[in-house]
Amino acid sequence: MITPTTGPDRGVAAFRMRLLAGMALVVVALTAGGLYFAERKVSGETQHTFQRAFEADLALLRTIREIRHASLAERCRTLVRMPRIHAAIEDNALDMLYVSAGDELGNVLADTKSANEPFARHSIHAKFYRFLDAEGGVIPPTNAAAVGALEADEEKRLASAGVPLEQQTGYLWRKAGSAAGEIVELISTPIISTETGDAIAALVAGFPPSGENGRAAEIHGGIWLDGRLHMPSVTDAIRSAASASIERAFAGGAESAAQGIPVRAGGEEHLIFFERLNPGSSFPPAYEVGAYSLAGLHARQWQLRWQAAGVGLLLLGIGIAASSYISARLALPVRELAIVSEENRVLRERAESALEITSGELLRTARFSADASHQLKTPVTVMRAGLDELLVREEISPAVREELSLLVHQTYRITSIIEDLLLLSRLDSGRLQPELLPVNLAHIVDTCVDDLHLLNDSMDLEVETDVHPALHIAGEKRYTMLIVQNLVENAHKYNLPHGRIRIAGREENGTVLLTVGNTAHPIPPASREHIFERFHRASVGENVPGHGLGLNVARELARLHGGDLRLVRSDAGWTEFEVRFCAAGPDDSRAAV
Amino acid sequence: MIVLRSLFVLLAALPSFCLADTAIEGRVELPKSRHAPVANKRYEIVSKGGVLAPFPAFAVVYLEGNFPKPASLPVQQMVQKNLAFDTALLPVRLGTKVEFPNLDDTTHNIFSFSPTKRFDLGRYTASERPIPSQTFDKMGLVTLRCDIHEHMRALILVLDTPHFMKTDNEGRFRLGGLPAGSYTLKAWIDSKTTLERPVELKSGATVRMDFP
Repeated sequence: MITPTTGPDRGVAAFRMRLLAGMALVVVALTAGGLYFAERKVSGETQHTFQRAFEADLALLRTIREIRHASLAERCRTLVRMPRIHAAIEDNALDMLYVSAGDELGNVLADTKSANEPFARHSIHAKFYRFLDAEGGVIPPTNAAAVGALEADEEKRLASAGVPLEQQTGYLWRKAGSAAGEIVELISTPIISTETGDAIAALVAGFPPSGENGRAAEIHGGIWLDGRLHMPSVTDAIRSAASASIERAFAGGAESAAQGIPVRAGGEEHLIFFERLNPGSSFPPAYEVGAYSLAGLHARQWQLRWQAAGVGLLLLGIGIAASSYISARLALPVRELAIVSEENRVLRERAESALEITSGELLRTARFSADASHQLKTPVTVMRAGLDELLVREEISPAVREELSLLVHQTYRITSIIEDLLLLSRLDSGRLQPELLPVNLAHIVDTCVDDLHLLNDSMDLEVETDVHPALHIAGEKRYTMLIVQNLVENAHKYNLPHGRIRIAGREENGTVLLTVGNTAHPIPPASREHIFERFHRASVGENVPGHGLGLNVARELARLHGGDLRLVRSDAGWTEFEVRFCAAGPDDSRAAV
Repeated sequence: MIVLRSLFVLLAALPSFCLADTAIEGRVELPKSRHAPVANKRYEIVSKGGVLAPFPAFAVVYLEGNFPKPASLPVQQMVQKNLAFDTALLPVRLGTKVEFPNLDDTTHNIFSFSPTKRFDLGRYTASERPIPSQTFDKMGLVTLRCDIHEHMRALILVLDTPHFMKTDNEGRFRLGGLPAGSYTLKAWIDSKTTLERPVELKSGATVRMDFP
C-alpha cells in the first residue's frame, strides 16, 4: 500500500472547495432569484387582495348605506301617506298636524327607551322632523321639543329645498354634539294629494348619518359638505390633507374618486375616495368621503417580506449544507481516484525505471552479441583460410582431405551462425531500421528457387511457384530475400525424398500473403509453439543441417516489416508457413526490382 | 140642484186640494265630469284644489228655513264595506246620530279633522258593539277618513233642515212635502260651491227652479 502524499489531499481539498463555492453560488443565485420573484408575486397578490378587500368594504358600506337610506326613505314615504297627516293638511286642521304626526311619528324619533333595541344601533330614528307648507315654509310645530329642537338657521336650511316633487336627500351640519359637530341626513318627502297628485306639503326628517358600526377598521368615514370635511375619526393632519386632495379633485372637475387618491399625512398613507351622496338633490351637494388607511397593507407587505426573507435564509442554509454534503460526497471518489492515480504514478515510474534498466541490459547484451560475433568472424575466416591452404596440398590423404572439407564446411556454418546472431542482436537492440521500398516478390521467390536448384540435390523435389509477376511488397530487399530464403531452405531441408514444394503469393486487402508449403513429417504438436524460438530445432530433423535460428530470424524480420510469420499447418505429410507483408503498388516509381 | 152640483164639485175638488203636494222640482247644472263614466255608479269623493265633490257628480238640494226641531231624529248609518264607504256623501239633519258599522273583515278607524266635527272612533271591527257613532250637532261639511285605509273618503253634510235630497246624476230633483212659505233653496255642488235661491212656496203648488 502506498501512502498518499499530502499533494493529492491538497488537490482534493481545493477541488472540494471549488465545488462547494460553485454550488453555493448556484444556491445563492437560485435563492435570490426565487426570493425576488416570490417577493414580487406576494407583494402584488397582497396589494390585489387588499384592493379587493377595500372594494368589498366599500361596496358593503355603500350597500349598507343604500339599504339604510332606502329603509328611511320608505319609512318617510309611508309616513306621508298617513291619512291623519293628509287630513290635517287637506282638511285645514294644521293645528292637528304635529299632534297627529306626533302619534304617527312618535316612534320615528329616537328616544332613550328604544336605544337598546336592535334598530337603535342602525340610526333609523329621526333626530327631528318638520312639515313644510305648499310654499316651502316650515309649518311651526306646536311643541318644538317634541319634534326635535332646531336653531333658526337650521330650520331655514330645512326649507331650502322647498317642497319637492320627489323625495330629496340633503345633509345638515349641526353644531350640536361634539366639537366637530354632527352631520344629519335630511330626507325631504313630498306629501302628495291622493286625488290631484299635487305636492301639498313636505315632511323633512333629520336622521343621524350611518354609524361607524358597519365600517371596516381601515376605513374612516366622513362627509364633505359646504366646502368642508367632517371626519372626526382622523387626525387634523389627515383631515386637512384629505380636504386639500378633494379640493384639488373638484378643481380638476372630478365628481367622484372611486379609485382613491393617495394622501400622505402624519407619516401614514391613506387612500381618499369620495362620491356624491345626493345626486340631483335640490339640497346643497354632499359627498361621502372615505379615508382608507394603507398602514395595514404596508405592515402586511413588510411582514410577508420578512417571512420570505426568513424562508430564503432557511433555504440558503439548507442549500449550503446540502452543497457541502454533496461536495464532500463527490470529493470522496475524486480522492480515491487521486490516491489510485498516485499509486499508478509510482508504479509507472518503477516500471519505467525497470524498463530502462532492462533496455540498457538488452542493449548491452545486443552489443555484446555484436561484439562477440565480430570478434568470432576473424578467427573463423583465418581458420577457413588455413584449412583451404591445407586442402590444396598434395601430400594429404583422401581421408584427411575429406576431414578438412568437413572442417571447412563447419567454418561456413559458424560464419552463418555468427551472421544470424549479428542480425538478431541488431534486431534486439532496435538498431535495424529497414528502408521500406516496393520489392517484387516474384523476383525474390524466383531467385530463391534458382538457388535451390543449384544445390547438390539428391532429394528430387518438385518445386511449384504461384506468385503473380507484379506482386510487390513494402520492404527492404535483402531482408525480404532472407525471409523467403530461410523458408525455402527449410522447405528443402525438412522435405521428404521426391517430395514437393509449393510457393504461392496473393494479395488480400492491402496485405500480401506468401505461403511456403512442403511435404514433410508433421511437426509434433508439443514442438509447434517452440519452433520460432532461438536455437530450437525440430526433433524430426536431427540429421538435417541448421542451427535453429532461421525461423526466428525470419519472423523477427517479418515483424520488422510490419508483417508476421506463422505456421499454418503441419499434418498429413504437409507443412506450410505463411508470411505476411504489407502490399506496395507495382507502379511505384521507387520500385527497386 | 146647483147646490148639489156645487157640493159635488167641492167634494171632487177637496181631495185634490187637500192632498195637493207643495214641492220644488228642477235641475242643478252639475260640473262636467273629469272622469270617464263608471258602469256601476260607485260613488267616491274626489277633490281638486282642495275642493271635495262626489263622483259621479250629484248635488244636494235643501230648503233652508226655520223649521221646528223634532224630539228625536232617526239614526243614520255610514257603512264601511269592501274597504270603502258605501255612501260618498251623506246629508243629515243637524243633531242626527250617525252610526259607522264596519261590515268588512278588517279593522277600520274612522276619524275626521274637519272643523265641523272632529272625532276619532279608534280601531274597531265588525263585531264592535255598540256600533261606533257620532252625533253631528254643527252645520257644515265633515270629511270622513279611515286611518288605516288611506283611500277611504266620505262626506257628511250636516244641514239644519229636514227638507233635503240628493239629485240624480243629471242634477234633477224634486223636493216634496214642503210647507208653504218663504225660504231659501240651496244646492250644494261641492265643498266650495253652494248655490242658493229664494223661493216662495204656495200650498199645493210645485215650483220649478233650476240651478243656476
